[in-house]
Amino acid sequence: MSLFISVTMNLLEGFGMTCLIFLLTLVLALPLGLIVSFGSMSKWAPFRILPERSGAKFYNKLRSFRPVSFLIRLFVWVIRGTPLMLQLLIVFFGPGILWQTSVFSRFQATIVAFVINYACYFSEIYRGGIEGVPHGQHEAGLVLGMTRPQIFFKVTLMQVIKRIVPPMSNEIITLVKDTSLARIIAVVDIIFVGMRYVTSEALLWPLFYTGAFYLIFCGILTLLFGFIERRLSYFKV
Amino acid sequence: MSILEVTGLKKNFGGLSVLKGIDLTLEKGRALALIGASGSGKTTLLRCLNFLETPDAGTIRVNGEKIFDASDPSFKNERGIRRKRLHFGLVFQSFNLFPQYNTLRNVTLAMELLAREHPDYKQNKAAILKQAEADARAILERVGLSDKLFSYPHQLSGGQQQRVAIARALALSPDILCFDEPTSALDPELTGEVLRVIKSLAENETTMIIVTHEMQFARDVSDTVIFMDEGSIIEQGPPEKVFGNPSEERTQRFLERYSAS
Repeated sequence: MSLFISVTMNLLEGFGMTCLIFLLTLVLALPLGLIVSFGSMSKWAPFRILPERSGAKFYNKLRSFRPVSFLIRLFVWVIRGTPLMLQLLIVFFGPGILWQTSVFSRFQATIVAFVINYACYFSEIYRGGIEGVPHGQHEAGLVLGMTRPQIFFKVTLMQVIKRIVPPMSNEIITLVKDTSLARIIAVVDIIFVGMRYVTSEALLWPLFYTGAFYLIFCGILTLLFGFIERRLSYFKV
Repeated sequence: MSILEVTGLKKNFGGLSVLKGIDLTLEKGRALALIGASGSGKTTLLRCLNFLETPDAGTIRVNGEKIFDASDPSFKNERGIRRKRLHFGLVFQSFNLFPQYNTLRNVTLAMELLAREHPDYKQNKAAILKQAEADARAILERVGLSDKLFSYPHQLSGGQQQRVAIARALALSPDILCFDEPTSALDPELTGEVLRVIKSLAENETTMIIVTHEMQFARDVSDTVIFMDEGSIIEQGPPEKVFGNPSEERTQRFLERYSAS
């Protein structure tokens, strides 16, 4: 019994790190994701100033080229197209290899990699939510004399929030479990503690026991998102 | 002086010329019906008047004041356009109510946002907001929705939603109220309630431009009918003349197609 309690206490300590990675990633990636999504939707096309020419296919492609949108989408493609584990390793070891100096501590590297990765995933959810609001809503705001910020905050935003809650809750629950990747650069999260029991004391059950912590945490999140969805069910989009 | 005077209005989309120089005038308190086949430019004309599209050429005058001139870039800045839009109201084919607000809030939202720009808003905030709500309730009563003040759009029928949309546009007291096929998205049994509301507005001398495919309604409600085809005005005149004895062949053919169907 005392072993169970001491294992629980040790795992809880690791779980503290798991929660810290989760919360910091969430708090930083949610706003950053919004900025990334605005970038990927940017309509800025500097070559528009060139005169229109009919028939010149490549030339017209250049005229409508949107560099900000292109670069951001390229970046999102790379981040979503490569494993988070690899990104962790690159952020942590990359600077050392390139400049023979380490830039981030293990924990900092974890947060940087997670925030970038999740901001990219979130940005796509935001983009879907924003582009999913019918254009007529924007036009209705315009003809009623609203400014663009008023339209965004008073008309569009609530509809976007309602649309993104289900995919967002999915992604956030995935984040809970993704935090376990941090052990690849020896961040002491709950899985790391569980593994230590396997390697140093040949005990397997503490590692399996970690699953209960994740399960309870995700259960609480599921209840929370269910609550939010019910609170937003008073209108339909 | 005419309340609305449009001259030489042109609009191209890419290489396609959708409006080919529209001239029209409208007197205060009159209803203008715009008829014509799909793609003839009626909706684009309304959207130009509401500055949802920027015309490529032409001028728009309201009460003699020039509010748009395509040849003068100073008419194209966003701040100026926003104020000028308020000369016009627009009721959309697809209602475009704000789904997260109830009926009353759909009507008061823009009123309150505009009230904030009044210089005495800060001192009289409570009184201004109270007045806005009282006005909104009165307008909603006019369109017969006093019992739906706290319903959300998804709880309303299409006809009720469109009446909320009409109230929302009326609440800002536009000089000219525009309707873009207000009954085209409705089930046939729901068009009547919306048409009755528009008709009562016409009887109360609301200045209106109505794009519609309801020929009988256009005939009943309007003082002037304009028939458009391929981006030009083909014929205009009083409804008895345009419907009863059209002088242009294209108008005749269009009306024949309608009465046949």
